[in-house]
Amino acid sequence: MRLYDIVVLLTPDLSEEEASKVTADYRKLLTDGSAEIVRDEPWGRRRLAFPILRKREAYYHLFQVRALPALVTEVERRLKLSDQVLRHLAVRADEELKRSAKMAERLRIKAIKRPPRPPAAPPASPETADTPHEGGAS
Amino acid sequence: MTAMPSRGGRGASGSRDGKTSTRKKFFVRRRKVCKFCAEKLEYVDWKDVKLLQSFIPERGKILPRRISGTCALHQRKLQTAIKRARAIALLPYATD
Repeated sequence: MRLYDIVVLLTPDLSEEEASKVTADYRKLLTDGSAEIVRDEPWGRRRLAFPILRKREAYYHLFQVRALPALVTEVERRLKLSDQVLRHLAVRADEELKRSAKMAERLRIKAIKRPPRPPAAPPASPETADTPHEGGAS
Repeated sequence: MTAMPSRGGRGASGSRDGKTSTRKKFFVRRRKVCKFCAEKLEYVDWKDVKLLQSFIPERGKILPRRISGTCALHQRKLQTAIKRARAIALLPYATD
């Protein structure tokens, strides 16, 4: 199981209810494929940064899903075929999150090892050439 | 006709001006700090439009590192985040 972010853009021709109905279809598709839905957020009708198929707005919906790769490719295939979907994006999120968590952990350990630096000196201090501040508190 | 001395002489005197080296930098630039390092944001979220927008100037291009002060690691992450956001029309590819 891998963590994916899937963002779907639906045509603004749909009404609010129709849009939620379409997203419900995809939600069902995901849950039927034994995916675990982590985040399920409708962002609502948003202005696009540039027109897509002459549309200037779209309904955005975000799914964050823990699923098998095969299911995601299948969902992507259907998203591509659908006329109601202007555009979609499905990317893996777990690798990056894991890596950034590791980095944060490493930084935390480094911060513990090194004594904390005193808060930054005022910007207009005359001697900034060398700062012999040692935070030897303990 | 040899009109060389005037041309050569001018070039030599212009480049070899000892006084220019003694001139000091009299304004101190503020040190730029990587925003992500400073705020301890390890994961650059491509869905966070507000954050990414601060690295997109008027024209819609990605703000270079030399201006924003972002560190190499985070600039790389920022780059992919901005490109993803562009793919789903959260950010423009270009504007004018």
